Formats: sequence, structure tokens, C-alpha cells
Amino acid sequence: MELCIQSDLMEKLAILTDAAKYDVACTSSGVDRAGRGHGMGNALAPGICHSFAGDGRCISLLKILMTNHCIYNCAYCQNNCNNDLPRATFTPDEICTLVTQFYRRNYIEGLFLSSGIVDSPDRTMELLFQTLYLLRRRYDFNGYIHVKAIPGSSPQLLEYTGYLADRMSINLELPTAEGLRTLAPCKNRKTILRPMRQIQNGIQAGALLESHELSAPSSHSLSAAVRFAGIDPRQKRFVPAGQSTQMIIGATPENDYQIMKVTESLYDRFALKRVFFSTFVNLTGDDTLPAPAATPALLREHRLYQADWLLRYYHFRADELLDETRPDFNVYLDPKCDWALRHLELFPVEINRAAYQTLLRVPGIGYLSARRIVAARRTGLLDFEDLKKIGVVLKRALYFITCKGRMMYPVRIEEDYITRQLLTDKTQIPKEIRHAGYEQLSLFDTAFLGINQAV
Amino acid sequence: MYTYICENSIDGILTGVYDAYADRYPRNEIHLQAHEPDNLSLFTQYLPVKADHEKAVKVARTLKSRFGQEFYETIYQAAMSGEVKGKSTIDKADAIYGTISLALACGDGTKTLLSLGEPCVYRVFELCRATGKEAMHLLGFVRFQELENGILFSSIHPKHHVLPILGEHFSDRLPEENFMIYDETRQIAVLHPAHKSFFLADTDNLDVAQTKHFSAEEAHFQSLWITFFRNITIEARKNAGLQSQMIPKRFQRDVLEFQAS
Ligand code: SF4
Repeated sequence: MELCIQSDLMEKLAILTDAAKYDVACTSSGVDRAGRGHGMGNALAPGICHSFAGDGRCISLLKILMTNHCIYNCAYCQNNCNNDLPRATFTPDEICTLVTQFYRRNYIEGLFLSSGIVDSPDRTMELLFQTLYLLRRRYDFNGYIHVKAIPGSSPQLLEYTGYLADRMSINLELPTAEGLRTLAPCKNRKTILRPMRQIQNGIQAGALLESHELSAPSSHSLSAAVRFAGIDPRQKRFVPAGQSTQMIIGATPENDYQIMKVTESLYDRFALKRVFFSTFVNLTGDDTLPAPAATPALLREHRLYQADWLLRYYHFRADELLDETRPDFNVYLDPKCDWALRHLELFPVEINRAAYQTLLRVPGIGYLSARRIVAARRTGLLDFEDLKKIGVVLKRALYFITCKGRMMYPVRIEEDYITRQLLTDKTQIPKEIRHAGYEQLSLFDTAFLGINQAV
Repeated sequence: MYTYICENSIDGILTGVYDAYADRYPRNEIHLQAHEPDNLSLFTQYLPVKADHEKAVKVARTLKSRFGQEFYETIYQAAMSGEVKGKSTIDKADAIYGTISLALACGDGTKTLLSLGEPCVYRVFELCRATGKEAMHLLGFVRFQELENGILFSSIHPKHHVLPILGEHFSDRLPEENFMIYDETRQIAVLHPAHKSFFLADTDNLDVAQTKHFSAEEAHFQSLWITFFRNITIEARKNAGLQSQMIPKRFQRDVLEFQAS
């Protein structure tokens, strides 16, 4: 009997891990929380990776679905109700046992919980809430929790859940409303953006309360959550690690420019912490959809992530990186190099004088290096040797900088020449994609790249 | 030339710094090293340093009060590095001594760590970064196994002396657990009795056989974990090269899911 229960749990775990693995977000970052001397758990703002899967992705959270039963039929999703595959459902207690037993063995940093839609959005959200409630209260778990908010569920349920979670996310699914209409007819832009807005407001209200030393919670919705869930907002903030979202890339025909514009407005208007991109993998065998992801698709995803960094940490705007006439990234170059090549008139910049903002825009200088440069040059003039120690990637930066008025080597500041030089640097294609067997050949095929015309 | 031979520990190195200042030999004739000399030099006087906790605490206090907590922590973390001497690099103890004397000599020592152009400061920066990086890895890669007596046990083979960092992290995280992390390379362990503070101990009396008696449930949770680990991989994107780059082989030997195949 015992054995049967055990193998049953094993099977559920196998099915519900499989069903969750295409969700890309797995970070445990964004919140610092000390342990409380009882129960278990704390959290570190940078997050912690506990393992790396066979595909090289970080494993930080126990990423599972509560159930892979679903009443919807999103075309891109393997759990859609028309698909014939094994289904399973965890009980809240099973999830709590897995999380706490894995956590104390240090396998994981916490839980990432998503779900197919059972009966209705509200019923599904309620089950997610119950699981989190049990985990926090009965199992006294203080580690990291990332939970999906179910589009179309009631604002109140969402709020209760938000006080128990560290991060919440609602998938945007597809970059445009048009894409959503064709591939996910049960969802619409409104039911996705409304809870996103609610979470944003909740986070901002929490921050406001905190800045007022949090006397008695004033808004009545807050006290409703407090009454219902027995949550003390002085101890638990609302979604303290912020919210994120993800969209599927390549299932619908949007170009990079559209995707970056959407991403930018999610940061600007919804104050998201992260936007994730997930290269479309055709799991349902639906032949009206594109074929399985190949390496160039991964390279595209990689460029989108690089550009996303440029938005978040490097003060770039989407319109600087791309425009209507040039709507896609050059997959062979990182977007910052690409940008710099099109703005050679701004270079070279003098390391010992350039403003922090200017340093940020130099290829090969990361934001940490830029900060170190600004700090280090206060104690003396910097030379190329110093930059190397600071962590600047000179083989990229050298075309764009001077130290004490000198360039590292005499180079022609000329677009074709520098482009070709940068392309010979194999790190332009990230290791993980080279490891996956990316064809080197085409990289050097300059005719194919059309370097002489338009890069 | 005067070379102080210190014990390879934070107390040993900081005592060396203390003694070097107390003896008042000319600054440019002083070196510290945290290992026995390889070839004795005729023109050098070797001064053995006996680690003295009191002296080390005095130095630590001075560093914290004059240059701030961060400065001290950098020195501390550098001292925990397992890279004592390198072929072409400055000895660990000497780099620490050099950095401290630079800070003491200049007007505002709080900025000294930014002078990466100074070889000894750069060395301290490198050492500190290496220790920190390994500790950060191990916060994730440590695997506990539940023994028959309920103790969570883990063994590791780190390059650097990271146990103090791990002890602090896990006792905050798992206050109700009795746990032990065993650094097999150095033969020391960090122990944490439930609801108490952790401490370091050498492991002469460790009963290795006992660490192989697992609780009744242990195998069950291990296979659940391995099930998860296998199923989370996207087969179409298999990439063993990237996996080994992210979790280097030297860690894999102590990580459960990389042993079972
Ligand atoms: S709602 Fe759509 S995306 Fe979510 S599980 Fe159901 S079919 Fe998949």
C-alpha cells in the first residue's frame, strides 16, 4: 500500500514536471529575507542556482504544475484539452511535502507553481491559494515562492495569494493581441493585463505603506486580505520580489522591433521585474504552427535577452536599437555592438573622462566594469592594463575607446572593417549555442551576411 | 629582508600583520607568507609567527573601525582562499599585508580596495572573488542526506575554506535542523545543533560509517528528486557542454543527481 502511494507520487511528479518545463522563468531572485528562527527558509536577493538540467538551464525552484488538466485549448500548449497525454493532479499536501523535503535537503530554493485551468479560473486560483496558504502556515515555509496568477480569476483571490507569494506572474503568452486571438481563443488581452495592473498597484501600495512606517493598514481591501488569510502585512509584503511575464517567440510572425516595443512598455507601464522570452517549441504536432525550434531560433531568443538587458541596465530605448525600416536584430552580433557600429560618429570615447552613461554604451564594458572604471579613475589615470583587470572585454572595446588619448592599436574607425573584426570573435555567438552545435561556417560567410551593403 | 611565516588562517595572517608592525622593520623589507618557504634565501631572516587570537582581533577591530566592515570582509574572505601561493602571483598573506599597509599609509584607506592597479590590492580582490564565487556555488550545490538519527549530513570538497559562510547561511535557513557539512579536503566540519549557533570542529572523531546509515525515507525523496531532475530537461535542447560549464565537474562528485546515472 505504502509503496503504491509512493510510486503514484513519483508518476505525478514526472507528469507535472514535464508539463511545466516549458515555462522559462525559474529565478529565485528579487527578495532578501532572513530566517525567522522557526520553520524553514530565507531568501537571498540575487537568487541561488541549485543545479543545472541536461539542457544547461538553471534549476532553482521546484517547477511544477498543480494539474495538467485544462479546459482551454491554446494551440501552442501541450496541455491543451484536445491533446491526448497522461494527466495528473497534485493535492496541496503532496506539493507541500515535496517542497519542504526537497528544501531541507537543499535541492531547491523554493516553489514555482503554475496550473492548467480546472473547472474555472476562480476554482484554479483558489486551489493555488490553498496550497500556498498551507505551505506558509502549516508547514511554516519561509523560502521563495513564485506563483502564476490565472487570467480571469477574481481580484480578491489574487490579492490573498499575493501576500503569500514572493513573485507572481501572468503570461502575456504572445506579443500581440492579434496572435492571442488566433492561438489562444479562450484568453484575451484584457484578462491578462487587468491582473497585471492589479499586482502592480498592490506592490506600489505596499511600498507606499512601508515608506509610511506601516502603522495600521488603511485601505480596506488590505484588511480584507488580513482578516481572511490571517496575514500580518507588517511581516509579509505583497509580492515582494515583483512580477514577471513571458511571451512565446516564433509561433506568430511578430518582428523583433514589435517584441522590444511590447517589452519596453511592460517595463514602463506595468513596472515588471522581468520579461522572459520562450522560443516556441511545437509540442502538439499542429502543422499549422511553425516547426520545432532550431538553433537560429535560440540565437534570436538570445539576442532578445541581450536587448532586454540593454533596456533594463543600460538605459537604451527600443527605438534606438531598431526601427520600422530595420525591424530585426542582426543575429550574428550582440545588439550593443550592432548599435555601436551604426553610431561610429560617437566613438572613440576617452575612458578617463567619459560619463558613466557613455561608458555603458561601449561594447565590451558591462555595467559593473563601468562602475569600477568611474571609481578607479578617481585614484589615477587608467590604461588598457587596468581595464583588463577591471573586467573590460578589450577585444570588443578596443575599437571604441582611448586611454589617455591613445587607442590600443592603430585601427581604422570604419564600419566594414570593425564589423569584420568583431565577427571573427567567436564569443559573439554565446557558448551555450555553440555547444548546441551551431554552424560556425555561416558566420564567416560575409556575402551571406551582406556586410558590404547594410549592416 | 624579513619574512614572517604565518599559519594559513585568518588568525595566523592577521597575527603576522600585527607582529610585522610591532617589530618596526622598514616596510619595504617585510614580507609575509602563509606557507613554509620552498627555498631558503641567504639574505632573508625567517620569523615564525605563532597565531594569536587576541592579536588578530585587535587588527580586525582596527580594520573595521578605520576602513569599514566591507574592507574587513574582503580581507577575511581573501584569507579564506585556498590559493596560498601561485607561481607568478603574490603570496596570499603578503597581498593581505600589502593591502593593509597601503590603507594605513594613505589618508583615506576606505578607498584602497579600489586601487586595482596596485598588485597586492588586485591579488586580494582576486582571492576574495574566488572564495566568494565558490561559496555562492556551494550555497546551491550542497546536498544534505538525512541520516538514521535525523541529522542532515553533507560532504564537500571545496578549494577554499568556505565552511564559515555555509554555516551562517544554513543555520539561518534551517534553524530547526541538526546538520553537519563536512569539508573532506580540510577535514573539518561545520555543525549546527537545532536552535543553537553553529560551530566549526575538526573531524578526527567523525564516525564515517555512521554517515552512511540513512533514514527510512531518504531513498524515497532522493528518487523523487532525480525524477524531477530528469524530467525538467527539454530533450530537444540537450546541451551537456553547457551543463558542465555551469556546474563544473569538481562540484558534481558531491551532488546527488550527478552520481545516479
Ligand atoms: S490555459 Fe492554455 S496555456 Fe494554460 S495550460 Fe491551458 S491550454 Fe495550456
